Amino acid sequence: MAARSLWNGAIRFGLVNVPIKVYSAASSKQIRFRELHVKEGAPLEHRRVCGKEDKEVPFDEVVRGYETSPGRYVVLTKDEIQAPARERGKTIDLEDFVPADQIDPMFYDSPYWLGPQKDSDEAYSVLLAALERTGLVGIGRFALRTREQLVALYPVDGALRISTMRFHDEVIDDDDLDLPQPAKKVSDREAKMADALVSSLATEFDPTEYEDTYRERVLEVVEAKAQGRQIVAPEAAADDESTDLMALLEQSVSGARKTKKPKAKARKTKASA
Amino acid sequence: MPRPIWSGSLSFGLVNVPVRLMSATRDLGVHFNQLHEKDMSRIEVRRVCTEENEEVPWEEVGRGYELESGEVVMLTDEELEAADPKKTRTIDIEAFVDLEEIDPVFYDHPYYLVPDSNEAAVRAYHLLRTVMERSGQVAIARFVLRTKEYLVAVRTRGDAITLTTMLFHDEVRSTEDVGIDKLPKAKKAEVDQAVTLVKSLQRDFDPNNYEDEHRKRLLAIIDQKRKGQEIEIPDEPETPKAVPDLMAALEASIQRMKSGGRNALAADAAAEQNDAAALKRLPKKDLLARAKEASIEGRSQMSKDELVEALTAS
Repeated sequence: MAARSLWNGAIRFGLVNVPIKVYSAASSKQIRFRELHVKEGAPLEHRRVCGKEDKEVPFDEVVRGYETSPGRYVVLTKDEIQAPARERGKTIDLEDFVPADQIDPMFYDSPYWLGPQKDSDEAYSVLLAALERTGLVGIGRFALRTREQLVALYPVDGALRISTMRFHDEVIDDDDLDLPQPAKKVSDREAKMADALVSSLATEFDPTEYEDTYRERVLEVVEAKAQGRQIVAPEAAADDESTDLMALLEQSVSGARKTKKPKAKARKTKASA
Repeated sequence: MPRPIWSGSLSFGLVNVPVRLMSATRDLGVHFNQLHEKDMSRIEVRRVCTEENEEVPWEEVGRGYELESGEVVMLTDEELEAADPKKTRTIDIEAFVDLEEIDPVFYDHPYYLVPDSNEAAVRAYHLLRTVMERSGQVAIARFVLRTKEYLVAVRTRGDAITLTTMLFHDEVRSTEDVGIDKLPKAKKAEVDQAVTLVKSLQRDFDPNNYEDEHRKRLLAIIDQKRKGQEIEIPDEPETPKAVPDLMAALEASIQRMKSGGRNALAADAAAEQNDAAALKRLPKKDLLARAKEASIEGRSQMSKDELVEALTAS
């Protein structure tokens, strides 16, 4: 069954329009909990209350204000708030094409599939093939709902996908972290041993090898509690007290060699440029 | 420095590095408050117990899971932690992979890992960072953050180790899931032209090239409103139609890129589709050039807005 599209519009690059539909590419399987009052287990409700009158306010008496200084607001109508997104219109405007490997994954936000519209599958195929052949990613902007987003457009599995992206000033720079530096530098022996450990764990990325096991275990706990059993968290195993980095690395490497899975094949070391 | 949202250890073989997790993003969105129209006072969202009809303080808010039978089972933090205590406290590195093998569809939220300040933690942290940087590999690990397990990619960035949460494979939708059908085979001649056009628009990726124009526009509108000016509301936009002749549009784009560059091409595209907002985003000189080609009279005396109007009227 085909999913419902979130948005209809067109990709625009140069004088070419490619009408498309946008579909979400992710669906979280997070366990949903309800808020309860711990006292008697009654469900909680969220109520909008006027701070001044201490009374519940119906939704049609609520307006949206931007605080310009403490306690002072500029009220905007829904249309005014949406004006910038409307100016962008129904297009995904591609501005540049950039090499895919230059984009740090930190910039990627939410993924969406693009499907062609009835009259556009030819143009869609052409753009898809051009991106596949060049290895380039389109960078553009589009307004989804009330917010204009920066997006990356790229080919995957014979279709086009976009990921919304964070702007440069929304990503915190590592220089702002003030990271502590070690007093004693990492020795060559330690680095070599750590390299060996990395190599012994090197494999190809196969997302299907990783299953969310926590979800099931939470449901087991829920089930046990429903049957009236007492849930006891096991004592945390005491952390390894040893701080002898070299000894821990050596033990890790010999342990990894013994338990190495046959399918984790060793990779060639990449030639460094 | 941002506040840690989790603390525990990053485990690599038998080496455990005590770390704190910090968000790597800052929220710069323009946020509005809900106000009561009558008296312009702030709306508070209160949690109210449906049985007692009283506000419930945060410490008394619990978490319940609804079974299919409708019965709601309440779980404490300790009981939830009992589901998997190890994953709740440890980011356990399971494998190292090449970055290019990870499809961006999996990426969720980026964080930084910061070591505890003792020398042992700092050295182990730097050791891991050094070898990851040298091998160019990304560590794949798993851990539980709040009430969800995440697959995570642990990488280096400058002097820091970053952690990006990822979705599990069953949380990602495939092309079949959304119903993208088989496509017609693209004609080679058209693909060749599209490749030429795409390559002519190629540049290096520099995140600083892209500013959040939406944020600026919205703040400008707020400022106009504060001064009591009227805000112009654009019409509901229409969806642009497919071009009737793809080959001709590709060729014209390539020619325009050669003769005038990016902005000339953007001005042509916007004028052809009567997209006033897109024209306004361009420098005035590119609008003047376009007006000259369209033989618009009196163009040299026109303001930017008048040029936009003349170009979209023709």
